[in-house]
Amino acid sequence: MAYVATRGGERAIEQSERLFRAELGRIDANRVAQIRNALPWLIDRVMGEASLYDRDLAALALAQTGGDLYEAVLVLRAWRTTQPRLAIAEPVTQERLFTHRRISAAFKDIPGGQILGPTLDYSHRMLATDVLEGRPFDPAPVTPAVRPAPAQQPSLAAWQKAQGLVADPPRADVAPDAIPDLTREPLLFPASRAHTLQSLARADTGGVLALGYSAMRGYGSAHPTVNELRLAEADLRVRHPRGTVFSAGRVRVSQAEVTSKGRNGQLELGFCATLGWNEVKTIAGATLDLNAPGAAKNAATDPEFFLYHTEPVEASGFCIHFKLPHYVTFQSALDALRGAKAASPAKEEVPA
Amino acid sequence: MSLATLTKPWAAFSYGFLDASAKRELRRKMLKAIAVPGCQMPYASREVPMARGWGTGGLQVTLTLLKPTSRVKVIDQGADDSVNAASIRKFLHRVSGATETWDTLDATIIQSRHRVPEERLRDDQILVLQVPNPEPLRPVEPNMSTARQMHADADYGRLWLVLYEQIVRSGRVMQGAAYPSLVNGRHVMTPSPIPRWDVPKLNMARHLTFLSAGREKRLYAVPPFTRVEPLAFSDVPYKVEDHGNLTCSRSGVTGFFMNEIPQEDGSAVHELSDSHLGIKAIRRAEGEAAPIGATWYQNGEFRA
Repeated sequence: MAYVATRGGERAIEQSERLFRAELGRIDANRVAQIRNALPWLIDRVMGEASLYDRDLAALALAQTGGDLYEAVLVLRAWRTTQPRLAIAEPVTQERLFTHRRISAAFKDIPGGQILGPTLDYSHRMLATDVLEGRPFDPAPVTPAVRPAPAQQPSLAAWQKAQGLVADPPRADVAPDAIPDLTREPLLFPASRAHTLQSLARADTGGVLALGYSAMRGYGSAHPTVNELRLAEADLRVRHPRGTVFSAGRVRVSQAEVTSKGRNGQLELGFCATLGWNEVKTIAGATLDLNAPGAAKNAATDPEFFLYHTEPVEASGFCIHFKLPHYVTFQSALDALRGAKAASPAKEEVPA
Repeated sequence: MSLATLTKPWAAFSYGFLDASAKRELRRKMLKAIAVPGCQMPYASREVPMARGWGTGGLQVTLTLLKPTSRVKVIDQGADDSVNAASIRKFLHRVSGATETWDTLDATIIQSRHRVPEERLRDDQILVLQVPNPEPLRPVEPNMSTARQMHADADYGRLWLVLYEQIVRSGRVMQGAAYPSLVNGRHVMTPSPIPRWDVPKLNMARHLTFLSAGREKRLYAVPPFTRVEPLAFSDVPYKVEDHGNLTCSRSGVTGFFMNEIPQEDGSAVHELSDSHLGIKAIRRAEGEAAPIGATWYQNGEFRA
């Protein structure tokens, strides 16, 4: 049929996918392992946005998508959502984290000390062009501290609470099964605290940075001071059906707590945590959280605004959906436009 | 008896891709949506192996409804072989074993983006519309919590105002597709962006329609024999697109919604938007047996 011959969509989509994959070439376990080992910070970012902690799967997703971050996150999320929830881990408190890096900008020194840990913060950002000329870069060895920092560190907010500087809101014990789960329930507003923090944890790094930065520049009402920033490993403690609590392994987590002077004479805190080490996201996310109470509706600091718009899978998907044909809706608009034009042939004079 | 006898063997994916808990959530919300026609039901929309905004809401509803005996038709802009429709239909077949079809008469489930087929749907057929934005109030109220409250109060004054302002400014209602419509006399819905041509097909229809927005996590339904009334002033009647007199340049058929194809000489030709209806008309003209069902429009006029 002539009608069909001019289209041939099925063959076209198959070939276009082949074209994409041909450029990436063969993907094997070795390539996945190299990505996993060479790009730990990228892997962490992807695991956080996918809310799936598995380095091998994250590396595989990056290999499969050629490093298109939104595609990688979507592949992981689509896989994750089909997996059963086997157990709910015990809550992780700050002082039980195995802390690699912990800094506070609020005090010169804090109980437990400032621990710089691994960071490029004070490095000179110069390209190691020698590498391209055949001289490999070998990092200088790390000299261990004379007195190693303790692995576990107290929470600064605990000290502030004891001083009466920070409110200590009452806590309710929630049964593990009753903890709201964003991946099994729709996000509604006003959002529960659990949904807000879960949504920030899996938010798009770039999106959270953009909106958080707008709040930092002055579109928010509160100026953040980094109360505490942590990169750590959390022990995943789960209960065996027999009742024993055991460690099922460790996951890398990052968290930021920012503070500013509140209205009631106390310090207010904003908080954000995510799987993997991602300092920019947690500081920006905590800034949004800090600015959220009392934010004007439709402001960038309004939770409905920033949570909806930093969802990486939804935002990127909707953005690329505009590539789909829209000629029916366009035809409908064209009809209204022509109808209006035909009804008023005389041109309206525009006042100067 | 061992544990193994109580459970099914492990499989990488569930039947119909979605796991049982996702399907349960969908079924609950679909039933609720049928119970309150036109009312948006928030649901736990899952990620699926397709980008958000590409029919993931429709896909989840269809995946929940599919059986191995289903016959499924997928259209985008009215066309079965549009790239995304082809990809979705292939996926549905792959995960459910359902039969793929292009023929509206043959289908038990029709998933569609932006169109309702021209042939009348029967009471044994289900139409699943993919919805980008489920909120008719979005143009006047982008905040979803406020809009939800407005629906609860049946507070649609600002929608009427928009239509009124369009008439004052342009001499006519300028709303193109996605024309806001009152369902069952209570909830205003956006009928996904189907053209105005297709909205009357939902009114007092024999078939069930689901409208599902995966990215926005809302679904709603128009059950059979439910009123769907486009918002219109009593002295300014609702107008569908002026396509009643257009003729398809490929099939010679007149009186249905058309795609306009610009030509190099500055003119334009038209072709049927419902592509398989066009194919059937061509086959009939060539002497083949290609049954065409009763259509909602006859001679370019809607017949209730």
